[in-house]
This record gives sequence, structure tokens and C-alpha cells, in this order.
Amino acid sequence: MSQDAVARFRGVTKRFGSTTAVEDLTFDVRPGRITGLLGSNGAGKTTSMRILLGLVRPTEGEATVFGAPYHRLDRAAHRVGVSMDGVNSFPTVRGHRDLRIWARMLGLPDSRVDEVLELVGLDGRSNRRVKDYSTGMRQRHALACALLADPEFLILDEPVNGLDPDGIRWLRGFLRSLADEGRTILISSHLLSEVEQTVDDVVIIQRTLRYAGPLKDLVRESGDRLEERFFELIGTETKGVVHV
Amino acid sequence: MFNVLLAEGRKALTGRSWLYLLGGGILFGVTVAYGYATSVEDTAAVTTQVRASVTEEVIRAWMTMHLFSTLFGAVFVAGEYHTGTISRSVLLSGGRGRLFAAKMIVGTVMGVLFGLVAAGAALLSPLVFIPTFADFSPEWTTVGWQTALGVFAVTALGTCWGVALGWVVRHQVASVLIIVLLTLGLEPYLLRAVPEVAKYLLTIAMSSVYLDGKPELLSVPAALAVIGGWIVATGAAGYQLLRTRDIT
Repeated sequence: MSQDAVARFRGVTKRFGSTTAVEDLTFDVRPGRITGLLGSNGAGKTTSMRILLGLVRPTEGEATVFGAPYHRLDRAAHRVGVSMDGVNSFPTVRGHRDLRIWARMLGLPDSRVDEVLELVGLDGRSNRRVKDYSTGMRQRHALACALLADPEFLILDEPVNGLDPDGIRWLRGFLRSLADEGRTILISSHLLSEVEQTVDDVVIIQRTLRYAGPLKDLVRESGDRLEERFFELIGTETKGVVHV
Repeated sequence: MFNVLLAEGRKALTGRSWLYLLGGGILFGVTVAYGYATSVEDTAAVTTQVRASVTEEVIRAWMTMHLFSTLFGAVFVAGEYHTGTISRSVLLSGGRGRLFAAKMIVGTVMGVLFGLVAAGAALLSPLVFIPTFADFSPEWTTVGWQTALGVFAVTALGTCWGVALGWVVRHQVASVLIIVLLTLGLEPYLLRAVPEVAKYLLTIAMSSVYLDGKPELLSVPAALAVIGGWIVATGAAGYQLLRTRDIT
């Protein structure tokens, strides 16, 4: 695999007591591409992302971002943007105020908050408390937070959840435009039809790795849609490791 | 680090929890101070010594603010676990150690703010309550001034301990309950039951600092050392947990 993988998992296993959340994950996230991390509920997608960010320590193996564990990466918060369930905003604070807190932590001017609010379509609507936002607005707010530092690498956990059809189409175009600028995006989802229209590469996990590679290779091999291939892969206990 | 400090400062002053707690502390202080000011029944026969004692008690009443400053410190940390913002704080702050230090420093600054309000109110309240409700003028003594200084110290130090405890407990409701039960229940009970041991407990040591006057208490320097020990020990445990535990 290429030496310049943006994110790299090597033999990552995480056990919570007697429960194994993920086991022996090995795959790379290639630069400048949108990679979909797919799996059914409880497959270990969010755990994998949290391991990548150093919020959860792996029981075995290592996950790195730009060649280093997140906590040792220089200016990590400026290079990696995160929108993830459990990486929350202050619910009782108004949207723009919440973003200003995080902008201050990143050493960014308050004017950057206005820029990202406009980018995600929340300009003029951020004077409400975050807890009073609709689910779709909350997704956009989380995305705005992830974009504050203009990062090279975006990690988005189920960003489509709660978006209306317009929002889903907007997000698809938005992510593509970010990737076209050379950014790398790792996006988790269980909405396979949506992912199929958005991603370049696919990583399928169901506790263990089932596939990692270009989407076109996965669907071309059988001529099927992603959905059929997905269920074939997660329905087996094969622990094949495929490098992107 | 400077940016993290500024962001933590914004967090501390965002929302109204600090105002509610400060307001609660003032209300509690006023209530207790009023109680001491009205405790003299025969104001016509009051001596200088009694006037000094009542003045000192009214000042000492404001030590109650330390409960609220401790709660602020704990909620400042544990509240982030409650809302799930702790993950974002860890990710954006540049490291767990940096976040820990920033919260400790900003918590201390807020403690100083609570302490200044408490000490100011402690010095003001004899001038208001005693002439109004006891019908004599306050008698200012060295002990009175030292008590006000002690009120300031325990209030500021209370926030430090609250922050440290927040890192250990990492649960908002549990940390509030622990502080209230320790301060109002367990430690006063232990002081009555086993005073030779209880004088080394945190809030009992604090009562030495605001010159509570009980004979079994530690000297002020020893009490300050004990309080420092509690803060360092709790902070070290909290930092170890922050450094090694998953943030889920």
C-alpha cells in the first residue's frame, strides 16, 4: 500500500470486557478520496473512528493519522476535523457561541465561525441553542465545527442521519467538492445507496474487516449493486484482509 | 496553551451555571449571616467582647460559599462528560495534559472570583446586618479580618478541589452528590465521632482556615498543608484517570 496513507489501521482490536468490538482491522485511507466505512449497527464503525482519534485505546494494534497516533500528531486538531456522535457541542449554548468556543481553542478568529456557518448553510440560523436545532441542523452544526480549522482530513460519523432529501443531496455535493480540493474524507454510514453515490473507496467491517478497496472493484466483480455485495460480505465469517 | 485557556474561560462564563451557583452562595451566605446577626437576644447589655464575637460569626457565615465554588469546579469538568463535549475538548485542546492544566487554571481563577465575592460580602455584611437586626455596631478585630481572609482562601481552594474531583468522578450528578454529602453530612459527623482523624478531612481542615475555633482543629498552616495534599492527591488521581481511560 502507498506510504502516504492519511489514516492507517494495523491489526487493531478493541475489547470491552468480554465483548470484542473490532478485531484485527488492517486497512488504509487514501489521500484525496472519500472512503466509506460501512457496517451494520454495532459493527464497530464508531469504535474504529474513536480509536483513530485516540479517544479509545486499542487492545491490540495501532491506528495512525498522517503517520502518527493522533495524540502525537503535530497540530492534529488543525489537520483533522471530526463530526461524530459523542463528540458533542454544548447543548444549552447558542450555535454561533458554541462554535466561537471551539474556534478560540483552535486559535482562530471569530470571523471563521461566520465563514463555516455560511459553508454549511446555517448562516442567519445559528442564534438558537444547539439543543433546539432540528436533527438536520445539528448535523450541519457538527460539520461546521469539523470544518473550523479548514482540515486536510475529515472524519464524519453518520453525517446523513437526520438530513432531509435536500440536505442529503447538498451534503453529497459538498463532500465531493471538498475531496476535489484534495481533502481526504472518512465517512461512516449504514445507508448503502447513499454511500454508493458518494464514496470512492469502501471499507466494510462487521467486527472484522470484510473488504477494503475501491468501490468500483467491489461492485464490478459481480456486477451487483453495493447492497448485494455488502450483505454477501457481512454474512460470511471470512477474515480476509484486503489492502486498498 | 494560551488559546486553550481562553477557550476554557469562555466555557466557564458561558451559560448561567456560574451565576446560579454564585447567586446560591450569596443567598446562603445572607441567610446564615442574618441568623448570626439576630442571635443576640438582649442587645441592651451587649459587651465589646460579644460585639466582636457576633461580628466574627457574621463574617464566618460566608464560608458557606466554598460549597458553591466547589460545586462549580466539579460541574465545570463533570458537566463536559454529561454533555459529551469532553471528547471535542480532548481532540481540539492538543492533548489531555493540556486540557487538564487549562481546566485547573481557569477553575482556580473562577475560584478566586467566588472568593473575592465571598470575602467582600463577608466584610460588608456586619455593617449591614448587625446595626439593622442587632441594634449595635460591629466590632472589628484582627480575628475578624483573618476570618475574612480564610473565607476567601477556602472558597478559592474549594474550586480547585472541585475541578480535581470532577476529573475523578466524571459524572455530574454523582460529583454534586458526593460534594454535598461530604460537606454537609459525612465530614461533620466524623468530626463529632472521631475528631482526631476527622481534622485531616478536607472541609474540616478548611474550618481551621476560617478560624472556626474548635479546639480539636489543626493550626492554619497545617490545615493549608492538608488542603493542598487533598487537592494534589485528588488531582493526581483525576489526571491518571483522564490519561489512561477511554473517553466514550
